[in-house]
Amino acid sequence: MISFFRRKRALTALAGLAVATVALTGCSTGSGGGSSAAKGTYTFWDPYPQFDASSAWTKLVEKCGTEAGVTIKRTGYDTSDLTSKALLAGQQGNSPDLLLVDNPVVSTLADAGLLTDTSETKTSTSDIEANILAAGQVDGKTYGVPIGANTLALYYNKKILSAAGVDASKITTWDSLTAALAKVKADGKKGITFSAIGTEEGSFQFLPWYWGSGADLTKLDSSDAASALSLWTDWVDKGYAPNSVINNTQTTSWQEFLTGDFAFSENGTWQLAGVKASKIDYGIISIPAKAGGAAPAPTGGEFLTIPVQKDSARYAVSKKIQSCLTSTANYVSTDTTLSYVAPTKAAQEKQVAADPDLEPWVTAVGDAKGRTSDNLGTKYPKISEQLWKAVQNSLSGSQTPDAALKQAQTAAAAAIK
Amino acid sequence: MSSITTRLSNVAPGSRRRGRRTWHKTLLGLVFTAIMLFPIYWMVNVSLTPADRMRSSPPSWFPFAPTFDGYIAVIQQQLPYLGTSLVIGLGTVLLTVVVAAPAAYSLAKLRPKGGGALSFVLLVAQMIPQVIVAMGFYAIYLNLGILNQPAGLIIADSTLAVPFGVLIFTAFMSGIPDELMSAAKLDGAGTMRTFLSVVLPVSRNSIVTVSLFAFLWAWSDFVFSSTLNSGGDAQTITLGIYRYIGNNNQDWNSIMATAVVASIPATILLIVAQRYVAAGVTAGAVKD
Amino acid sequence: MSSTIIERPEAAVPDGRPATNAGLPPRPSLKKRFRADQLTAWGFIAPVVAYLVIFYAYPLFKNVDLSVRDYTVRSFIDGNAPFVGFANFTAIFQNPTFGPALVHTLLFTGISIAFQFTIGMALAVFFFQNFRLSSTLRALFLVPWLLPLIVSASTWSWMMNSDSGVINSVIQSFGGTGINWLTSPHWALVAVIIANIWIGIPFNLVILYSGLQNISTDIYEAASLDGANASQKFWRITFPLLKPVSAITILLGLVYTLKVFDIIWIMTKGGPGDSSTTFAIWSYQLGFGSTLPDFSPAAAVGNLLIVIALIFGFLYLRVQKRQDA
Repeated sequence: MISFFRRKRALTALAGLAVATVALTGCSTGSGGGSSAAKGTYTFWDPYPQFDASSAWTKLVEKCGTEAGVTIKRTGYDTSDLTSKALLAGQQGNSPDLLLVDNPVVSTLADAGLLTDTSETKTSTSDIEANILAAGQVDGKTYGVPIGANTLALYYNKKILSAAGVDASKITTWDSLTAALAKVKADGKKGITFSAIGTEEGSFQFLPWYWGSGADLTKLDSSDAASALSLWTDWVDKGYAPNSVINNTQTTSWQEFLTGDFAFSENGTWQLAGVKASKIDYGIISIPAKAGGAAPAPTGGEFLTIPVQKDSARYAVSKKIQSCLTSTANYVSTDTTLSYVAPTKAAQEKQVAADPDLEPWVTAVGDAKGRTSDNLGTKYPKISEQLWKAVQNSLSGSQTPDAALKQAQTAAAAAIK
Repeated sequence: MSSITTRLSNVAPGSRRRGRRTWHKTLLGLVFTAIMLFPIYWMVNVSLTPADRMRSSPPSWFPFAPTFDGYIAVIQQQLPYLGTSLVIGLGTVLLTVVVAAPAAYSLAKLRPKGGGALSFVLLVAQMIPQVIVAMGFYAIYLNLGILNQPAGLIIADSTLAVPFGVLIFTAFMSGIPDELMSAAKLDGAGTMRTFLSVVLPVSRNSIVTVSLFAFLWAWSDFVFSSTLNSGGDAQTITLGIYRYIGNNNQDWNSIMATAVVASIPATILLIVAQRYVAAGVTAGAVKD
Repeated sequence: MSSTIIERPEAAVPDGRPATNAGLPPRPSLKKRFRADQLTAWGFIAPVVAYLVIFYAYPLFKNVDLSVRDYTVRSFIDGNAPFVGFANFTAIFQNPTFGPALVHTLLFTGISIAFQFTIGMALAVFFFQNFRLSSTLRALFLVPWLLPLIVSASTWSWMMNSDSGVINSVIQSFGGTGINWLTSPHWALVAVIIANIWIGIPFNLVILYSGLQNISTDIYEAASLDGANASQKFWRITFPLLKPVSAITILLGLVYTLKVFDIIWIMTKGGPGDSSTTFAIWSYQLGFGSTLPDFSPAAAVGNLLIVIALIFGFLYLRVQKRQDA
């Protein structure tokens, strides 16, 4: 009887263990997932989760795979998630064969040694516009091919401007823009909306004004930089821009513009389809530089990269897929779907021929500048972080523009050493 | 414990009077619920508001010219994801209870040496940021080959709930009178039988509580499904939401619509579960 | 009070009642029995231990390892980060963000828990009185938990928008001036605390409610017979008997609140400036906030959070010991 009881206890203990084992291993059978798949399958990651299996984009990617003689398994990730996912996969030696990433991330991944450069895969980038390609270059090496570019400009509401007696074509300097905002406000409408959120998006939106003042990213506390930040801060203080800009994403500020109450919105190429569908009678001007002319806006858009693989024989096929996706015809169709501007002259001309409304955007992209350019590379993210913090501190009134930028410069200098 | 039965029968004849006496409480309850669920209403409101009115100032309290674009998108694209989330949620519940309840019973009643230390470790375990845990899992899963498998996601999701489950079960089970267990022992039941036929039935409330949270966590988890399952064919509804969050643009109609559509089956499940539990508690009390 | 369910086990176990051992052979030696008991006890625990070892040991080790080395993205990939000891921690302590982040973490956690627990308790007691629709309404209180945090937090930031938010619209319709909930350095922390309290109420409500269900109705019967009123019943019966459940609820609430980041991240990103930055947010900002991850300081901040939780864990164990004694 005792032994029976004792055995039962031991059994109980065993049963407990068994439960654990079943729970842990019972489900581990089944085919291996991940991207270490069969030879004929190539993995492709992009930041377009909005496109499902039936979308034109997926079909195009798959078609390029078929042409290269392989099957492509495409996965779309949320942009912010894609960077960490790529790092993690790289750490585990599980990188995808092709990786489409946001351009400021390219230098980070390249710095980590995760990407092949174009000389390794013998990819030609000669027909790509230099200012767009620059975002993917570090120390003279190019780590991918842009799939398309976008940038920022000012959308304006024609009805509001004409009611306030403002001629948009005369807005070429900061002063003329501020004067226009004052007129709009006096007319009972709202001036301008933009995104000054505490993320890369905020820096992206502030950069045209920052660069337009003549300031340089290596010196955040210059007087030029302060003049750019004062411009934004004054707009918020005077009510030309709503207080909500401090927390606005680009989508939020776009929604504000769509209400029809705002005269201007600083926003990107990708909103073109949306504004055409809206009831707003709109126009587009370049973002003015302080002293006049168009300010350089930052380039946005993704790069198609070929991550390092253990088996370098895979590069040949990856390169075929890459060149297929970046052929002129495919540039035109892809960039039209994404509302991007193509990175080559030939494709740009075709785009404008199909849709003349893209004309100002092609010009804007021509004037634009990569964020990691000027050989900033991986220093850029550190500087940018301090820049958006300074913008937040100044717009929210916790610091003066000067003080905020001084603090930012100290912190940035320490961070990049 | 027969007094409960007597009390119920005492109350029964006057139940109509009781109904009249409690209507003000129902009213108060409705008010509280309305306040609590106002943000949910707002979410529904946004899901129906066309983009050009989303930021109008002052905001409109009711979508007078509703757009159903978001819902159309969700119904066309997302319905299969609901099934995945449901399976993963229920699987997580099962796994959590199976692993956590015996451990808690032991901690609460069998007084193992080092039990205190274990509770402590469980507490600390919950402090590790989920992102770090997910990063660890990625490596383990990749090597085991269970990346992108729903089963792998169930295990991952249950790690959120297991430490919680053990602590909650322990807190509740330590309140079970020892007489109950010694009585079972007298009847010749072993520890396992005591656990299965005495402790578990008495712990109904805590099982429901732990199950609820295990389900809710699995249902709303994003980090694990994104890190461990985003390449899989069976994706969860939280990942579905991220389809509408683009690089430069977010489609708020569809995001909010997904959340609305996703919460409907789960809400029904909750209400049914609550009713069942309420009924079960009464039945149990009468049986005692 | 002998009918109380929650009783100290020692007092209740009647060791060897008459006739118990009658038909059985003599019991095994005390030592042997103890060993067997321990084996059973650990048998029940084994699955959880296996769980912890497999799923938490490595991440925990990884987190400590990250914080004592100087990881860059490159060394994260190839794993050759130099050991730097406590340098990351020293750097964290000297960082100008440290002070504000500490204060915000304490305020965020303390205020959130105080309100969540009080409101949760009040609602649990309220819903415990069986009235019409009570169980349905109680189930509806859980609905906020069904929503992915990105949705619920976005909804709050929608409602709290300075210009188009419904909360300011209500304030203004009553003649007040709108508050810059998310964009003012003075209000941002308040705003995220409010949203966090809202999210935490269901958790407290559910656990405390099932705690109430476990209290024997006999006690209330007896108290009623003795002429106790509602408030006396609460403070003399409900509250003391709920102590173990309350303690674990508060402790878990603390652990979860300390590491809350999604809500704050979605609503304010810790801003404007640092004005709603807690340790959890700071850790995330360092690790994932920019396109260049800074894993080592991020892990160091994360480990600080673990240490804070440890302190409260010790406190809990001491309180529990005192109760047991």
